[in-house]
Amino acid sequence: MRNALIRFQNMDRRWIFLGMALSIMIPLLYPINFPFKVDQRVQAIYDRIEELEAGDTVFISADFDPASRPELEPFYRANLHHLFAKDVKIVMGSLWPYAPPMVRPWLDNIAKEHGKVEGEDYAFLGFKAGNELAIKLFADDLVKAFPSDASGKKTAELPVMKGFRSLKDFGLIISVSAGFPGTKEYVLQVQGQYGLEIASATTAVSAPDYVPYYKSKQLFGLSGGMPGSAQYEKLVFADYRDDPGLSKAKEMAGPAQSVLNMGHLFIVLLIVCGNVAFFLTRTPKED
Amino acid sequence: MVAAVSLSGLFGIWFSIFLTLAIFSFLYDDNPIYKFAENLFLGVSIGVGAIEIYYGVFKPNLIDKLAEVDMTPDRAWVSLIPLVLLFFLMMKLTRKYSYMARLPISFIVAAFAGVKLTGEANANLMTPIAETMPNFQDTYSTYGWWSWQHDGAGIISDFVLVAGLCACLLHFYFSAKPNKAMGGVSKVGITILMLSFGASFGYTVMGRISLAIGRFQELLGLDREESTWTLAQSEGSSFALTSTTMVRVVSGLTALGIILYIAAWKRRQTSSNPPPEPAAGENAE
Amino acid sequence: MKRTIPLIVGFIIGVVMIGEFFIPHYRYRAMTAEFLEWGLILGAGAFILGLVNLVQVNLPKVQRRETDWQYKAAMLVALVITLIVGFAAGESRQADGQTFKWIYDYAFTPLNATMFALLAFYIASAAFRAFRARNMEATVLLAAAILVMIARVPIGESIPVIGDYLPQFMNWIMDVPNTAARRAIFIGAALGAIATGLRVILGMERSHLGGGES
Repeated sequence: MRNALIRFQNMDRRWIFLGMALSIMIPLLYPINFPFKVDQRVQAIYDRIEELEAGDTVFISADFDPASRPELEPFYRANLHHLFAKDVKIVMGSLWPYAPPMVRPWLDNIAKEHGKVEGEDYAFLGFKAGNELAIKLFADDLVKAFPSDASGKKTAELPVMKGFRSLKDFGLIISVSAGFPGTKEYVLQVQGQYGLEIASATTAVSAPDYVPYYKSKQLFGLSGGMPGSAQYEKLVFADYRDDPGLSKAKEMAGPAQSVLNMGHLFIVLLIVCGNVAFFLTRTPKED
Repeated sequence: MVAAVSLSGLFGIWFSIFLTLAIFSFLYDDNPIYKFAENLFLGVSIGVGAIEIYYGVFKPNLIDKLAEVDMTPDRAWVSLIPLVLLFFLMMKLTRKYSYMARLPISFIVAAFAGVKLTGEANANLMTPIAETMPNFQDTYSTYGWWSWQHDGAGIISDFVLVAGLCACLLHFYFSAKPNKAMGGVSKVGITILMLSFGASFGYTVMGRISLAIGRFQELLGLDREESTWTLAQSEGSSFALTSTTMVRVVSGLTALGIILYIAAWKRRQTSSNPPPEPAAGENAE
Repeated sequence: MKRTIPLIVGFIIGVVMIGEFFIPHYRYRAMTAEFLEWGLILGAGAFILGLVNLVQVNLPKVQRRETDWQYKAAMLVALVITLIVGFAAGESRQADGQTFKWIYDYAFTPLNATMFALLAFYIASAAFRAFRARNMEATVLLAAAILVMIARVPIGESIPVIGDYLPQFMNWIMDVPNTAARRAIFIGAALGAIATGLRVILGMERSHLGGGES
């Protein structure tokens, strides 16, 4: 029995990989969905956007790459639907070079579904290198940072940018962030100095780091990982399902949460089994 | 639903599946298909990054500015400075003139140091300290001693927050000597840190699994609307199977192909480099 | 002189950037905005430096047919093709039908995403092999991790009786102990960043200037 448990503890890790793969594939093929509640941090983002009126303008910093799509794409899309359904205007930029080819087509497609016109209702300014320096420049002079938008048109002449010269002029900033540079840099560099209202949708890995910023009101809302995206999607689709712009949209993160259930249970099982085997096989000198 | 797809799109779907499985093949063992995919990733990612950096930074902020014909002489020389600094930076690639790169590097490092200094001092030092100072009167009137409804907010939680923060700082940052009094404080600090790291690990697991979900959705054809495909500029369905089934068939066949290749490669490796005889008493894996 | 001038420039720029936080005057801000724009351009230049260095290191390996030269060749070919199609497409490179978009959607995206997806498997393996409750601290860490993993997903909320309290307890862990620990880390890191920043600006830290003659 002891030898079997030692062999179990030392088993080829490829069996664990196979188990992990099955725990992801099976719930994808045969999903079992459980209901879930909305966290107050996500509700705070939704409620603040609900307070916006038609014609208000929001700055979105889309700082993620294809690796973080499963966690952030659902929030990003739901957020665009939410803002466009309320006729809120959007100005978007990015600090990651790998973001624009991914986020810009989504923005254009969702805007088209809502009948929005580029330049008048929204603008995609593009990418800027420089991390913290770029954020500082956005806050000082956004038009200097982006002399032209991603289509090559002069930023200062865009109707949507009328009256908006820097980040300070936007009522709300939403940071969809997968890491560095991202939400933390916005909070450090410009939130305190200018008293900006910033919400963050971030990956699960970064979420524990940003909870203190939420607690100290440096962020007014926080959506963490796929559950956060699923909760925000749920809120948007519940209230705006009948909006013509959402006729082709579907929830992405909600159904995928059934996989998280199984995946987490598998990891917990591994930890428990590993520890049980460890305690049953350890010798006194291992204490 | 019928969806139009081009030949390049079909090839792209297969290529995407092939590259995904090529990277996943590393889970079995390092192999030539993984190495090819890894190096392809390096080349493509640097290429994409360079293109976006050119069109995102160099063209609008440098080239177009210098090309503006209505620039005054004052503005012109100011706009030349970044070009000169960039030139100095590129001298890093030479051996003889690499000292010239010190100027732009010093510029950048000092600029970052300056902005980080004020940013960290304001947002990570002063604000957390100010927000940690409890206002017991407000807390008691809003939440009382403990409120389950508000996730445990209350006087007790405020006290735990302050005590925990002080204990962590005393033990880890200020490295207070472990005597009788500090022993208890250290234990509290370590416990608080372990709770935090445990929560971090839980979130990290969630994040990592989420990344894998996206890949499996693509391999199983669940990332797109179920439809029957038709080749662009042709009428009616061009394929008998639905898009989801087609993607699964392609994934399965590609996976089989990769497995067979790796098996053959391993057999060639083993026959050309037979494994050494295990020493006496050594446990074989 | 070769070190002195960069140090003097670094000092001036550093002080100006610190002043940006305190001085709201529009002329001062115009000056700092100009410096920040130069910083953006130089930051982008550093990436190009990396690209050229990559070619400088790998091209000779391909030419000399060193070990794994075929993979280096594939990397360089992929790099060149991406650059050519990117520059050829210009501002419309992100539009549907463009080859650059094809490369991004069908080569970069799966490669980038799958590289990170591997971590899911490694974390499972690490959880099984390394996560042991050897002492009280490790047990606390383990318990917190398991609690968060169960409570953060919908199945945790559906467990009878404790399902109502699990998410609240998890939120308490995030709001109180996690916040306390993170703030302690932030405060420590901030003090370190301030000290390092001052050392760089005052010229006491010179490692970024490299070795060689002064």
